[in-house]
Amino acid sequence: MKILLVCSAGMSTSMLVKKMRAAADEKNLVAEIEAVPESQLKNSLEGLDIVLIGPQVRYLEKKIREQVEPKGIKVDVIDSIAYGMIQGDKVLNQAIELLNK
Amino acid sequence: MNNKFMQKFIEIAGRIGAQRHLVAIRDGFVAIMPLIIVGSLAVLINNFPPFGSFNLVSILNGIFGEGNWQEVGGSIWNGTFAVLGLLIAFSIAYNLAKSYDVDGLAAGLLSAAAYIMLVPVTEDWGLNFAWLGAQGLFVAIILSLIITELFRVLVRSKFTIKMPEGVPEGVAKSFKALIPSILILILVGLFQALMNVFAEMSIFEVIFNAIQKPLQGLSNTLPAAIIIAFLNHLLWFFGLHGTNILGSVIEPIYLPLIEKNADLFASGVSAFDVPYIVTKPFLDSYVYMGGSGTTIALIIAIFIVVRNEQKHPYREVAKLSAPAGLFNINEPVIFGLPIVLNPVMLIPFILIPVTLTIISYFAISTGLVPKTVAILPWTTPPILSGYLVTGGSWRGIALQIFNIALAVIMYIPFVMAGVRTLKQKMGGL
Repeated sequence: MKILLVCSAGMSTSMLVKKMRAAADEKNLVAEIEAVPESQLKNSLEGLDIVLIGPQVRYLEKKIREQVEPKGIKVDVIDSIAYGMIQGDKVLNQAIELLNK
Repeated sequence: MNNKFMQKFIEIAGRIGAQRHLVAIRDGFVAIMPLIIVGSLAVLINNFPPFGSFNLVSILNGIFGEGNWQEVGGSIWNGTFAVLGLLIAFSIAYNLAKSYDVDGLAAGLLSAAAYIMLVPVTEDWGLNFAWLGAQGLFVAIILSLIITELFRVLVRSKFTIKMPEGVPEGVAKSFKALIPSILILILVGLFQALMNVFAEMSIFEVIFNAIQKPLQGLSNTLPAAIIIAFLNHLLWFFGLHGTNILGSVIEPIYLPLIEKNADLFASGVSAFDVPYIVTKPFLDSYVYMGGSGTTIALIIAIFIVVRNEQKHPYREVAKLSAPAGLFNINEPVIFGLPIVLNPVMLIPFILIPVTLTIISYFAISTGLVPKTVAILPWTTPPILSGYLVTGGSWRGIALQIFNIALAVIMYIPFVMAGVRTLKQKMGGL
């Protein structure tokens, strides 16, 4: 499973990425999780399953959906409280649920 | 909060934040930021004030010979800040072309070439540095957008040379760009000739005087600074990345101001006597401390108000947010507390930054604190940033400490109110 987190500079989401990786390890889940700035999203679509959008750039949701959904990639905006509290497990669950939908 | 109004607001902000040309402009500036910061630091090091008897500049000059050390910084400046316009002409065209999925490198090169074509030439046949840099910024932006649009239309039209199968991609690409490039450069050349004959001045002077200069005059005023601080925080209150959405407008207008300050500072003018008060580093170092909303003060206020309950949710958020907050990253506190759409936090979150903007403006305009003369990475921690942006003055630090202290005092009653509301909610369950 490959997940990308998108925010403006890739900085604040990188904290969340660390926690999500830890949560994935705990579940023995093989997951590749990265944070990228929005401008680099289009260079990282290879083998991608899920794009999670940081709530502070949720205005990009429509644009990103148009860009990646035709490729079968699932998109969602990260729950803002979970994002703020850096709850890696919750956000990971959000991703898993999205994939199983 | 009125839901319909909110949806509309987010939609409009979203449209601005995702508009193709504005995004290309913003990303163009983001791309050259490392160069700009290096150029700015080079100037800073060249003019660093001595600590007591320790004088970095004279020590280095002792090693390398008088003036030789400064030459290192000076040449870095020439390759970065001094050719800002040229760099931007490339990077915006590149980003815009990429967004259309056409050849970004070709468009960027073409735009840089067109820019050089228009730059006035000095009498001894040199490029005029005055127009390669910040003064040419608006020409660079307009030109790169027009050139890329033309390039896109032409490349997708049938006026291209198509190579047979089997020709390497790089070769095919350069041939594909050939005819569009010829047409575009001829157009630019004709335009330049017409300007010479009829206007008898360069397009740079026209645009600088008609657009850039008035805008810069306006932007260096207190009302402009207040409007920016207000809008930025209003956007963040709705959970939208304010700095990012406003970036495409703010960067082009404010970058030349700090360039002017830094350039004069490099030539030996004191940080008190450079012209511009309101710059982006001004907002970054005196207002957005800990991130938008001066949230470093909010975190301190929470630690003061909730000092007895270790497990209090506010305290948890503050603890979680503090490390990143030192580097002005504050998404955890904005979304975790939350500040977003939280009526209790609306007032301080907007009022405090606006207050600090006003105080900092007057602290500088009355000559108590020197003006900003350097661009730093926005992640530079407060205190350090106050020292560096002022070209090494403790007065910058003093203003930051004053601002943080004031913001803490202003945040405390609202944190108390928030704690009370939270308690009532919990009690009601």
